[in-house]
Amino acid sequence: MHDQQFEVELEVIAGLIDDLDYFQVLKIEQDATPGQIKAAYYRESRSLHPDKFFSAESEELKNNALKVYKRVTEAYMVLKDHQKRAKYLADINGPDRASKLRFSEESEREQKQGKEEEPGKTAPARQSYRQAVLQMHDGQWDKARRSLKTALMYEPDNELFRSKLEECQERLAEGSR
Amino acid sequence: MSDEIAVGIDLGTSNSCVSMVLDGMAQIVPNEWGERIHASVVSFLEDGSVLVGNEAKRNIITNSEFTVYSTKRLIGRYFFSDEVKKAQAVMPYEIVEGPNNGVRVKARGQEYAVSEVSALVLKEMKAVAERYVGVEVKKAVVTVPAFFNDNQRQATKDAGRIAGLDVLRIINEPTAAALAYGLGGVENQRAAIYDLGGGTFDVSILEIGDEGVFEVLSTAGDTYLGGDDFDDRIMNYLADIFQEQYNLDLRQNKYCLQVLKEASEQAKIDVGRYGKAEVYVEGICQAEDGQALDLVATLDEETFNGMVMDLVQRTFKVCDEALQAARLTANEIDAVVLVGGPTRLPVVSTSVGHYFQTEPLSNVDPDEVVALGAAVQADALCRADAEHFLLDVTPLTLRIATVGGYTEPIIDKNSPIPVERTRSFTTSRDGQDKVRIKVMQGESSREEECEMLGQFEFSGFRIGYRGEVTIEVTFEIDTNGIVNVTAADAETGQRTTTRLTLSSGLSEEDIEESRKRTEETELASRAA
Repeated sequence: MHDQQFEVELEVIAGLIDDLDYFQVLKIEQDATPGQIKAAYYRESRSLHPDKFFSAESEELKNNALKVYKRVTEAYMVLKDHQKRAKYLADINGPDRASKLRFSEESEREQKQGKEEEPGKTAPARQSYRQAVLQMHDGQWDKARRSLKTALMYEPDNELFRSKLEECQERLAEGSR
Repeated sequence: MSDEIAVGIDLGTSNSCVSMVLDGMAQIVPNEWGERIHASVVSFLEDGSVLVGNEAKRNIITNSEFTVYSTKRLIGRYFFSDEVKKAQAVMPYEIVEGPNNGVRVKARGQEYAVSEVSALVLKEMKAVAERYVGVEVKKAVVTVPAFFNDNQRQATKDAGRIAGLDVLRIINEPTAAALAYGLGGVENQRAAIYDLGGGTFDVSILEIGDEGVFEVLSTAGDTYLGGDDFDDRIMNYLADIFQEQYNLDLRQNKYCLQVLKEASEQAKIDVGRYGKAEVYVEGICQAEDGQALDLVATLDEETFNGMVMDLVQRTFKVCDEALQAARLTANEIDAVVLVGGPTRLPVVSTSVGHYFQTEPLSNVDPDEVVALGAAVQADALCRADAEHFLLDVTPLTLRIATVGGYTEPIIDKNSPIPVERTRSFTTSRDGQDKVRIKVMQGESSREEECEMLGQFEFSGFRIGYRGEVTIEVTFEIDTNGIVNVTAADAETGQRTTTRLTLSSGLSEEDIEESRKRTEETELASRAA
């Protein structure tokens, strides 16, 4: 049922699995669309799903297939999630590629931290800050100053808000001169 | 090897069903009385034999102390869990504590593990199939609710082994149902499987691709919600009527309670079928002066619907959750499949139709569809080349305990399986020779709110100063949804010794002992 060439190829891939990134595991390009990712997952499932090897005689073949397939599901799990995929892309195209081929809890933590670095930790502060950015863009420095003060009321220690407020005050001082 | 027969078994809370593929078609195997659905009831008889199925169900009233039912509610649970406490209060049979916080059922002086009682139901299903085809049946695919945790899956698998079956695979009930419907054909169809059983509720959202790929996008469930809860509402309604009339509470007596339960179940079926139920139980209990009192009441559809509407609404909360996890909305679902006896109730099927804005499919019997799907899967596994692939997910987040009663996620719920994740742990003391890890499942960061799967102890790695030795622990969830944990020394790659030090499960010796005992136990209905 499974020809010899398939078995040999599978053995090679199983041996190399720790050197492949998720895109290579799914045999797709790094800019693959969500549709292409899903199609690749289905394609690999059809050839590697454990059901297919259930009655296979060779334990080695079974183990190789399972080893590769578990990496396929792992790859799909990460790549189908927008945020995880973005973080993963940065990981594998960065200097530590070799140690970041698998999406680790470290990556997850960094990704979550990345989220926290968004301007503001509380919803009202974020909203006021967004307003301020728009007002600054329109040159409404006075209104922007008020919005930033509101944001600082919720988060008095926010460095970003503080620096923006200083910027507004400078501009206002310039204008009145 | 491949011409051996493998059956599909739906091991339900209330009823079980066995199916097999014959001449390329999955079909339900009836017993010699033509019954296709069998009550999951085991009655321990005086002569040491057991009666299983619909005949045993009649004994719930006459041999109530030794007639065991609804064990699916207890399987894979800890003795201290709420579900077990609840069962102890309402079940007429005796539930006692076993080793490792396990649950045992006591009947005629003998203690049985819950898996062993379920094994007797499986043994009956095996016997029904064997009588039908005339050869020994050794292999089976057994189904479980999608929302079952690892302990419950493991205990179900043990039940299969105790029954002398080689359990090829444990598959999820909604996924099996999707398979039986042979959905697909239409490319990239999205289906919702609404599975309301006797004791559990599950919903799975699937995408069915071309060439037979069944991808489960998400699954959600409530293991404390089922048709039995509908019966409970009717029981209370009837008991209240009776109490008002005679100032006697039927719920206070276990015998009356059983009769009341049976009457309620029948009333539910009647009200679903005819829109009205006439309840009449002659001599349900005796008045103080010895006069026999009858239970007489009428239940119309409107009253019934009002009684259970909140239960139906609860299922939609679970559906919301599943849809959200799949990132879909109800109107993006192309097909809805109803599974489980209670979905026959118009109040359920109509509400489901409204919720998904599409007429649910019901051309396969909702009591039989899961077993049929299991048979399709069993057959596919035995033949060399499977034509369809079930890409299922894990229903619960796998976690490890950290410090101070908190947990940390390892594998997220709704991750496709089989899957594995590796974690590194470093020794924290000089000369440390053991590392212990507590593994759990659940959605809470608090340890006590999660289900404990077991505590693993790793040893046999190099001994060094603290922080010097790193062991890599691999958490795997296999195609059955069962968790495996292994570890290796990160530097040498040497596998460590793994010992499970805490678990609710049965040991290999327990299983072997139960298997022998079950093999020797005669099925009363087959004795002749």
